[in-house]
Amino acid sequence: MTPLAPASLHLATPGGYLLVLAVTLPVLGVLAMLVLAPRHARQVALVTVAAGLVTAIAIVAELIRTGTALTYIVGGWQPPLGIALRADGLSATMIAMTAAVITATCLFARDLYARTPKTQDGRAPTTFWGLLLGTWSGLNAVFVGEDLFNLYVALELLTFAAVPLACLDGRAETVAAALRYLMFALLGSLLYLLGTGLIYGSYGTLDIQMLSRVSEGGPAISVALALMIVGLLAKAALFPLHLWLPPAHAGAPAAASAVLSALVIKAPVFLILRLVLDIAPPQAAMLAGQILAVLGASSILFCSVMALRQARLKLMIAYSTVAQIGYLFIVFPLAAGNEAQPPWETIAWTGGALQLVSHALAKAAMFLAAGVIAEAFGHDRIADLGGFGRVLPISAAAFGLAGLSLMGIPPSGGFIAKCLLLTAAVLNGHPWLAATILAGGLLAAGYVFRVVDRALATPTIALVAQKPIPHRLELVALVLALAAVLLGFVPLEPFGFLQLGRSGATTAVAP
Amino acid sequence: MNSGLLLAASVLFPLAMAACCIFGRFRARALSLLVVAPLPALLAALLVADGTSAFFPPPFRMSLVLDRPGAILLGGAALLWSAAGAFASSYMGREPAVARFAVWWLLTLTGSLGLFIVGDVANFYLLFTLASLAAYGLIVHEQTARAHRAGVIYVVLALLAEALLLLAFVMLAAGHPEANPAIRDVVASLPSSPMRDGIVVLLILGFALKMGLVPLHVWLPLAHPAAPMPASAVLSGVVVKAGVIGLIRFLPFEAGLPFWGSVLIAVGIVTAYYGLIIGVTQTRAKTILAYSTVSQIGLLAVLLGVGLDNADAGATSLVAYYAVHHTLVKGALFLAVGILAATGGARLRPVLLLTGLLALSLGGMPLTSGALAKLATKPMLGYGYLSHAMALAGAGSTLLMLHFLSIMARDARENSPSSAPPEQLIPWLVVAAASLVIPWSLYPAIAGESIASLLQPDALWKVIWPMLLGALAMLLLRRITRLPGSIPEGDIVVLAEAGTSVIHRLTAGIQQADALLRRWSVAGLSLIVVAVLLGALMFRA
Repeated sequence: MTPLAPASLHLATPGGYLLVLAVTLPVLGVLAMLVLAPRHARQVALVTVAAGLVTAIAIVAELIRTGTALTYIVGGWQPPLGIALRADGLSATMIAMTAAVITATCLFARDLYARTPKTQDGRAPTTFWGLLLGTWSGLNAVFVGEDLFNLYVALELLTFAAVPLACLDGRAETVAAALRYLMFALLGSLLYLLGTGLIYGSYGTLDIQMLSRVSEGGPAISVALALMIVGLLAKAALFPLHLWLPPAHAGAPAAASAVLSALVIKAPVFLILRLVLDIAPPQAAMLAGQILAVLGASSILFCSVMALRQARLKLMIAYSTVAQIGYLFIVFPLAAGNEAQPPWETIAWTGGALQLVSHALAKAAMFLAAGVIAEAFGHDRIADLGGFGRVLPISAAAFGLAGLSLMGIPPSGGFIAKCLLLTAAVLNGHPWLAATILAGGLLAAGYVFRVVDRALATPTIALVAQKPIPHRLELVALVLALAAVLLGFVPLEPFGFLQLGRSGATTAVAP
Repeated sequence: MNSGLLLAASVLFPLAMAACCIFGRFRARALSLLVVAPLPALLAALLVADGTSAFFPPPFRMSLVLDRPGAILLGGAALLWSAAGAFASSYMGREPAVARFAVWWLLTLTGSLGLFIVGDVANFYLLFTLASLAAYGLIVHEQTARAHRAGVIYVVLALLAEALLLLAFVMLAAGHPEANPAIRDVVASLPSSPMRDGIVVLLILGFALKMGLVPLHVWLPLAHPAAPMPASAVLSGVVVKAGVIGLIRFLPFEAGLPFWGSVLIAVGIVTAYYGLIIGVTQTRAKTILAYSTVSQIGLLAVLLGVGLDNADAGATSLVAYYAVHHTLVKGALFLAVGILAATGGARLRPVLLLTGLLALSLGGMPLTSGALAKLATKPMLGYGYLSHAMALAGAGSTLLMLHFLSIMARDARENSPSSAPPEQLIPWLVVAAASLVIPWSLYPAIAGESIASLLQPDALWKVIWPMLLGALAMLLLRRITRLPGSIPEGDIVVLAEAGTSVIHRLTAGIQQADALLRRWSVAGLSLIVVAVLLGALMFRA
């Protein structure tokens, strides 16, 4: 047992209640859906999403205004007895990103389901609204959680909301894929819980801030962290643990795929970041970071090639997700800080965060565009899509713009992210990681180009949409893709907002 | 008018036109408006004083600077873009796909003109990318199998160039306090950079891919002929110059790098002769012109290499002078192929005559821009082997152009009596006239000699003997009947394509590995292995 510092680590801030709102609002929405008739589910979801979006904006505004992290102590009980919620710059960024993607998906799903008025209050749409809100609550809980067990609960909520999303249409193959997802995610949860138990047994607290003061290594913390990180890796589907992701994400309905691929897998990645950065002793963090980077680099190369070889559009996008997640793991050695410069002041940190956000926007845009394409033509075989750009110009433009960001072509968020990571790799002397970043960009260009090439093609028999597609449905994807491109106009330097709430970095304010 | 504003307009105006294509009404008329898109750039090149700069406020942070080489290239390029745009509006027909052609055209135009004046590293990369990738739309426009193959090869190599240059730029900017430094500043510190050689290799490789230096030229003879006629003209005339301006901007000509200068000279000479040798085996007029571009780009690389070798900052202006001659002549020649295809009967002879004049200008015919360009760069080359090698390349160019003319005359023989529409003839004549006027008017300032000196018998002989040699070689070459068509278009790309089966096997192997890794038993084992590895390593720390 290690004695811990007195419990004055967490000070509640005036805006802290916003964090509670961010977690509970979606839950209230779900409860309202259960009480009201199914035909009201859509309205409830729309109102909840609007309220949630306002909350997310308020959190970001409050952070910029005060320049410090938001904290809320649940019930006034200080950790280690009670639990705290806390949002620093990175958490707030995640919350805002989540709100943006959820709002877009919600608008898309509303328009999609409204096309068939008979079934728009049927089982699948009604379930979708509830699960969407459940996922949102789980995500926000992960982003603001400070207590490892509380985070476990949030992760489980997320898993149980996300798995049914993957098999909403009820086809046998999607149910099989969802079960695969569930089994592997539960395995991951189990490992995470095991690690949490070990930590509680050794240190008597589960609060991340308190654990970060325990800097000396030891067998217990090493084993615990290894178990937790691997459990989270299974949920994040990093190579070679990606067995469940491609079928689950490709089989889900478009709106669900967008949420799963853009947001849900980011939660475990975010937690790994916190474990390595905040809890692991510096030496151990460095070694763990190197292993994670090797896995990340393999993920980029291996799964990009797999994406190139896919015959179906949605499977291609799903493999691309596994590849793009890899970039988030090569950040660890690149953002290795030192005495003068903590990790969150490095350019790699900003690059990683930007990659996370721009991937979320671009990938959601891609899945929504792919959903429109599948809806219009009744299939998503890339080879048979020749000339789809003429039939669905907005979706083709959305796919192309989102592709720019994935490829890392300027001007786009993905370009700035890769440029910052590449700069960090050059400055810190990691030639292999620099080569991986470039090769990953080339491979991404390959698989995006395959689709763009089909969009521009002129087949001998002109492609015709089986169903008319309203422009409004297509526009959602375009707006998300444009947002990913506009991220490319942030300056090429460490971003002040991301440092908010990190120790010793309270003065920097976002431009 | 504010000259900074004019400079900004040369990038913003075509970009705004491309953006306006979102509106269906504008899009329908965009093709007929292509002629005005480069006009601000043309005005800027004519009116704006050297050294003028403009800066876009954040978040764009783009800085534009006009200097001597930039202004020369900008003026010639804008003129060709404008004339080719006018040509396109008559040539391209009326099917709906031409609206898309206009969008790609405007985007490529924005990128390629912007490159001549952009002053900061990040936006140079942005415009370079824009010019490279948008050109793909021009190449595949005709949607034939041939255009598609050319487009794929082009895009793969263009993206490779992007990747190499991104790394080079990141390494260049790495030591700078500013996130987006001016090109001038990074180049000034390049000679003392610890990563100097690595950066220079990446720069040369990246820009050589864009310029088409051997052996990275394979896309050029495929892509340029595949595009519609006016697009071939700008691709071969202007867009390849993106690589030239890149080397002009990013290599330290003031400090000099003798070793890398020699490398460029060697690669340039090989390219110059290689393009000629393969060119004479070709049987399609546009492909011959494309190989001639390869050869001419080789000569530009030699000039750049000499400048780098001698630490001669003035070389960049001479390179730009030579490049603008090539821009206008090559552009006019591609348009001539289009004009000749529509001409027959009595009109054929004058058109062929002018085409012949333009073609022989590339070989250095006296009083044409080719002769001026060769005479202006002569002092730079000195009187050693290099000077002879270049003169011999001029003989080769004459040979290649005579071959081109014979193919053109053969192709046009069967044409029914007709004449190309004036909407196509006038732009062609404008470019042809400009190819004479612009080099003549710039000559005194660039070469530092009076025009009278050009008419000395001595100067005339310097350019005439290579031409005579070339003509002689042509007479000999006609005897070899097996030569035409003996080497496929794109030459060594055929060898590279044989390697695709290896790549195919490799990716198939990866797919098998993925199937294995995604089995439950294997995934479970991986989970355990990663956990043990992580735990053990963290414990040891």
